Amino acid sequence: MTRSLVDIAYVRAGDKGDSVSVGVLAKSPEYYAQVIASVTPKTVAALYGDWVQGKIEVFPMPNIDGCLVLMHDALGGSATNTLRFDQTAKSLGTAILRLPAIAP
Amino acid sequence: MPNTLKNTSVRLGCGAGFWGDAFDPALELAERGNLDFLCFDFLAELTMSLLQRVRAKDPGQGYVPDMVNWFADLAAPAKASGTTLVCNGGGVSPRAGAEALAKALQAKGIAGRKIGVVAGDDVLGRLEAFRDAGVKLTHMRTGEDGFDRIKSKVVSANVYLGSDGIIEALEGGSEIVVTGRVTDSALFIGPAMHRLGWGFDQPDRIASAITVGHILECAAGCTGGMSSRFDQMPRMGEVGFPIAEIFNDGTATISKLPGSGGHVDQFTVKEHLVYEIGDPRSYFTPDGVADFTTPHIAEAGADVVRVTGMRGKARPDSLKLLIGYSDGWIGEGLLMFPWPNAHARARKAEETLRERFKRLGLSSSAISFNYIGLNMLHGPAAPMPSSDNLNEVGLRVAVKTASRDEAEKVRRACSQLWIMGPGGTSFGAPMKPRPTIALWPTLVPRDLVSHSVEHITS
Repeated sequence: MTRSLVDIAYVRAGDKGDSVSVGVLAKSPEYYAQVIASVTPKTVAALYGDWVQGKIEVFPMPNIDGCLVLMHDALGGSATNTLRFDQTAKSLGTAILRLPAIAP
Repeated sequence: MPNTLKNTSVRLGCGAGFWGDAFDPALELAERGNLDFLCFDFLAELTMSLLQRVRAKDPGQGYVPDMVNWFADLAAPAKASGTTLVCNGGGVSPRAGAEALAKALQAKGIAGRKIGVVAGDDVLGRLEAFRDAGVKLTHMRTGEDGFDRIKSKVVSANVYLGSDGIIEALEGGSEIVVTGRVTDSALFIGPAMHRLGWGFDQPDRIASAITVGHILECAAGCTGGMSSRFDQMPRMGEVGFPIAEIFNDGTATISKLPGSGGHVDQFTVKEHLVYEIGDPRSYFTPDGVADFTTPHIAEAGADVVRVTGMRGKARPDSLKLLIGYSDGWIGEGLLMFPWPNAHARARKAEETLRERFKRLGLSSSAISFNYIGLNMLHGPAAPMPSSDNLNEVGLRVAVKTASRDEAEKVRRACSQLWIMGPGGTSFGAPMKPRPTIALWPTLVPRDLVSHSVEHITS
């Protein structure tokens, strides 16, 4: 059975202006390489579609076996004027866990 | 200027992660935390604009009202424990907030308490002077220079100050510190620098304080709140807020009170390290730049996590200035539909609402429809179900308008579906139009901004 990130990672998401940040943490160090292989600007862009209008950056954080996904122009404005119900993108992060876990 | 006392460590607690947070964990920390400092973050990005509106109606207001009641109740246990209280609850009126607090303390018979007031962040009246000095107020993210476009709509303008003012207040003998807009982490960095005698020429030490401040600043955010493993967190309704001990060598431990709910473990701390940040290699604050790819985070006992190895760079020459301006209105509505064919009912209701908007001549700059239970939270990332056999589906509509009257049409159209909508439609209370604030982040040279510190006594 194909595994997805929900099996091997935790997330914490939040907003910063119009950007959405999602920290993705391997549940165990042995999954770190899979997390890095699975979470790329390309896979993240395909996942969120037109909800992300700007650049997508993925910063590896080997010190905590994770990475930080930064999506620009991704909140439909900022928390203070977006039309989204989830004004601070708290729930948007767990969508990352839908990505298939790819072997490095 | 550094503190002459050679302290080997400082104990800090977080008493609030936002305006609206729980009071009981803060009281427990004041009573039993054995803390040097208990620090409270009351301000979010939007808060300054909201408080500025309050102050515009009444110049004696504009601070966070909860701060006054809380600190009045905490002052006695904090004093008994030798704990100094620090908060940014002064909002846009730190002096008025401190005066209200002094009065509240006097009413409880607490006299002679020295309250430090840190201000200088509010530059609403200085924007033109900045421009005269050659500061373009370029939008940090979009690079747009057109500040004139929003000039007439500006509601608030606050510089994110660093720790300097807090340190100065503590050196002046403050037993309570009330600030305006300082960075959330400065509430922790200032006390740590003061107590440990650290200076801004020690970027790795400052990076330690930034990292610890960032981990602590959302209170329960690192003790089980918001956790991916929330189902495994015990008694979260009685959660303990975090305690940090920072040592003179730059290492730190994160913990909480024994017996309190929640957990402190490697994942609660790691998850918070990555919360609401940009490039983790350069976490900018006015006090220094921390590299969040350097800390080593490891469990060191039950509900104790050790954080070591922090590295950073010297503080930047520019400070962040956040300008809030009025940006029209949002009208919204929420309708719920039952089985059978709940999804189809919701789709037909959307079609009907669009027809009503047209009939009512709604003028809007953006319209958003989402299906609650299907795609409201994950948007395009959510796969839609192949069959329509769902127990219930909701429709949420949100519309951006220039005026309140236009936003009101959204409420009216949604209410009209009470009878002209699908059978079985359920409505909650109609949602009122709300005014919105947009944010214009920019940078100003540090030397154009100066903090102020004064003391008042209860």
